[in-house]
Amino acid sequence: MAVGHRALEIAGLPGPGRLARVREWWEQEHVFGYGLILPALVLLVCLVAYPFGMAIYFSLSDYWVGSPGGFVGLQNYRAILGNETFRQTVQNSFVFTAIALTLKAVLGVWLALLLVRRVRFKRLIRGAVLLPWVIPTALSTLGWWWMFDSLYSVVNWTAIHLGILSAPGPNWLGQSAYAMAAVITVNVWRGLPFFAITTLAGLVSIPREFDEAAEVDGAGPWARFRYVTLPLLKPVLAVVILFSTIFTFSDFNIVYVLTRGGPVNTTHLFATLAYQTGLQGGNLGQGAAISLCLFPLLATAVFFQLRYVRKD
Amino acid sequence: MAAWLALGRAPAFAQKRELTFFSWNHFVPASDDELRKQAEAFGKLANCTVRVDTVAHLQMPAKLAAEAQSQSGHDMFRSAGADPFLYENQLVNIDDVVEKVGKQGGGWYSFAAEMMRTKSGWKGVPWFWVSFPGTYNMAHFKKAGLEHPKTWDELLHHGKLLKKQGNPVGIPISHCSDAHSTYWSVAWSFGAKVIEADGKTPAVNSDKTERVVEWYKELYKDAMEPEVLSWDDAGNNRFLLSGKGSWIHNPVSPYNAALANKQPIADDINHHNSPAGPAGAHSAPPILGMSVWKFSKNIELAKEFIQFLFRKENFDAWIVASNAFNHPPLKNLADHPIWARNPKFAMLPKEAEFAHPRGWPAKPSDAVQRIDDNYILADMVAKAVNGMPTKRAMAWAEEQVANALKGQLKVG
Repeated sequence: MAVGHRALEIAGLPGPGRLARVREWWEQEHVFGYGLILPALVLLVCLVAYPFGMAIYFSLSDYWVGSPGGFVGLQNYRAILGNETFRQTVQNSFVFTAIALTLKAVLGVWLALLLVRRVRFKRLIRGAVLLPWVIPTALSTLGWWWMFDSLYSVVNWTAIHLGILSAPGPNWLGQSAYAMAAVITVNVWRGLPFFAITTLAGLVSIPREFDEAAEVDGAGPWARFRYVTLPLLKPVLAVVILFSTIFTFSDFNIVYVLTRGGPVNTTHLFATLAYQTGLQGGNLGQGAAISLCLFPLLATAVFFQLRYVRKD
Repeated sequence: MAAWLALGRAPAFAQKRELTFFSWNHFVPASDDELRKQAEAFGKLANCTVRVDTVAHLQMPAKLAAEAQSQSGHDMFRSAGADPFLYENQLVNIDDVVEKVGKQGGGWYSFAAEMMRTKSGWKGVPWFWVSFPGTYNMAHFKKAGLEHPKTWDELLHHGKLLKKQGNPVGIPISHCSDAHSTYWSVAWSFGAKVIEADGKTPAVNSDKTERVVEWYKELYKDAMEPEVLSWDDAGNNRFLLSGKGSWIHNPVSPYNAALANKQPIADDINHHNSPAGPAGAHSAPPILGMSVWKFSKNIELAKEFIQFLFRKENFDAWIVASNAFNHPPLKNLADHPIWARNPKFAMLPKEAEFAHPRGWPAKPSDAVQRIDDNYILADMVAKAVNGMPTKRAMAWAEEQVANALKGQLKVG
């Protein structure tokens, strides 16, 4: 803490220079504290609050690309609610998120339990597991796209040669149910490492004594998992599921690369439909309205999950 | 201003400006190489640098929207579809260039001109169009003892036999632009419309469209395979080049690709004019232009550059580089030797005789573009071939078309 210049005067020492006065002002708690937050605040305002505000404004206007618009109230929202493609998209998003999230949660915990074991090349394996998460999605999805290709599908080729499928095999990206299965598969493949590694961090932090104590008391592996590990993992799982819900709901790349929302809009998600309507179709107002429909859904999810975490 | 170009030296005020041109990754890459070469040549002549940026064609709309919104970016761009209408009040009127170049070249094809001429003037120079003929594997047709189809009904008949032979035909029914190009063409050939000539009334729900959809359904069931539902713009190319497919409706790019990669299948591939229907033959070729943003600081330079690209020797070199993919929108250039040189290209210029902008008989507009951008027509057919009753699929499309028409731009 700097010495006040009054004290200096009393002590008969020369008054502080300009620099020292600035420093003294800066070092006051209320100035210094806000000063530290300021850079983050500027970033948040410029990169989050401003675009968000613009999106809300666009969604309430009849803005078209290249043409000025005016305020139209909730007209865009009424228009999209009346549109069959949008209703289809809402349904797709829930099916997609529910299935993908369940698979990721179950498989992710399972994978984490495997990774926590002491095996050889532990580090190498843990690193390799992260790969799908690290590779840029657009690139890895292109790989998947090729695997699901109608003519050259390696998935079908393998399955047919193993005798699991009869030729020519399903048309992955051309039939609604298969296309949905394909985008979910890729999403699970990509999102699993995040789930597994974060859960692993939670697992590692559980003291081994609990597990050992339960074992001494005669609890089997399932009972130890169910009554010891799982309850202790809950806070971590809740946070991972929260994040994953957000990532899954707002997915864009996978659907855009694999199906562009087809066949017949049965794989459109909010983000891809918003892109198609707002940027390709030029209807910025409706595009913004579609993407903002995500907001209340995600906000509700965040609210309940955070409350659940705090309660624990 | 043209004077100093002709003299070949730069005026005193030209201090190494940069002209930027935003274009697509051409399906025949050699065409872009030639374009860049000419851009460099122009740069030397006009004492400026010309930067040509290219991206995948499906990414262009988003980028253009961003440039229009932020009022900054490139000076000029490759306009496609209804861009001149969509950005009508953001684009420079280039009537002077259009007139000059048009006069030199014997006039513009009206279908190409219509795509660039808005109510408030020419918002782009027609640059090239892409013919959309029937592309087929002669060996498969010969094996089945068939000639190439002259009508869509013949295609259905031949396709059934070819599918039995193991060589189905293929028209995409999916979220890609080839799906629209073919739909418009088939629909017009059967006398069907999507919107009325007034440009305001949906006309998709009609007896004629019903015939079109029924035709698609039969073709899908008996002459194609479900993979057509998942194709992107390259799907039908791969299908033909794999040796499995016997017929597709597509520009000459598969043939060019086979030639470039020295695939033996190139010898078997040939083209024929787009099939006809009860209402004659009609084609909906992609039509592309060059437009200049109003916010550009190099408007005059951009106009000079466009004229430079249209100089006979430059335009010729560019067509040759694309190996007949780029068709000139100018009538005088239709007898360019490239089409006569290769018998497989000879019939291509004829496609211009029955080409229309999408939306026809209505004038092109941003609303027509929206019908394509939202894949309404492809989805209508996809719904029907997947089992939705044709009448319901048409009613669905009618509602969607009405939505697209509602968003007519207010230009002022």
